[in-house]
Amino acid sequence: MHIPDGYLGPATCIVMYAIMVPIWWLAAKTAREKLGDRSVPVLAMLTAISFLVMMFNWPVPNGTTAHMVGGTLIAIVLGPWAAVIGITIALVIQAFFFGDGGIIALGANSFNMAFVLSFVGYYVYKGVFKTIKSRKPSAETFAAGIGAYAGINVAALAAAVEFGIQPYISQGYCPYGLDTAIPAMAFAHLIVAGPVAAAVTGLVVGYMRKNRPDLLNLEKLTLSEG
Amino acid sequence: MEKWMKKAWLAISVFVVIVPVGILLTWNYEDAWGEWDSVDEGNTTWTPREYSGEAPLPDYNVPGWESKVMSSVGYWISAVIGMSMSVIFVLGISKAMELRRGRKI
Repeated sequence: MHIPDGYLGPATCIVMYAIMVPIWWLAAKTAREKLGDRSVPVLAMLTAISFLVMMFNWPVPNGTTAHMVGGTLIAIVLGPWAAVIGITIALVIQAFFFGDGGIIALGANSFNMAFVLSFVGYYVYKGVFKTIKSRKPSAETFAAGIGAYAGINVAALAAAVEFGIQPYISQGYCPYGLDTAIPAMAFAHLIVAGPVAAAVTGLVVGYMRKNRPDLLNLEKLTLSEG
Repeated sequence: MEKWMKKAWLAISVFVVIVPVGILLTWNYEDAWGEWDSVDEGNTTWTPREYSGEAPLPDYNVPGWESKVMSSVGYWISAVIGMSMSVIFVLGISKAMELRRGRKI
């Protein structure tokens, strides 16, 4: 899901950066207020985990590959604003040092994977967890899995739309329109990256609920109520 | 470092050891959708205008390490460097924020 440079036209890249600037600012502001001393090393570890899980590419039956991101996991443990920070840092490192995802496209990639994925993942998880009422670790596993699945798929859809609108607005950039981009991105993430993200996120969060529930009670960097 | 964190890092290191799976499983697969170096469109080839700078470890590998074995070594090195940088960046940024906050008070 790392959009390289040269696929998105200048208009899209500028708009995506313009959207991300206030999001990054809000994330930093929330972190300054709510990220406690105990949470900082946890965010460092979760960011490293995200970097690692993104290196596990999984084969997609149509011959391509896909991977999970880890934003929902960070969001569940420390809140979606913390996930914005952690995933953005991972994306910056990937773009500058490993040539994965473009630098001009960093705004778009951050919007998809750091912002959309984390917020959708977190609030779907919250919604499912509230709905099922059970407080067993298995309920937590289920809710976290659904959240991670939803998060990565909505993020993939956002990326597909950014790719797919290029033929209509910026000639010479991504050659495929929405009719090709959306099914391709949806396929890879609905049947491969989504289930991987759901399983990993669900198992880790369920394990934490069972063995270290205190780690799920660190202050969360959320919109307001928590 | 808290005790659980040491254990967690140990568990994570197991996954670092097996991270070459991430390239070996997909060795004969094409790139992820939308991440191609070029696209053949009938008789023409479309190439993205790529990042003009130089990534030191492009595609999570040391340039020139092409075999499965050497790519795996390159992948390990990349995982360790990338994860270390992730930790350093998070700790560094939060430290910088703390210092700024300290000065304000």
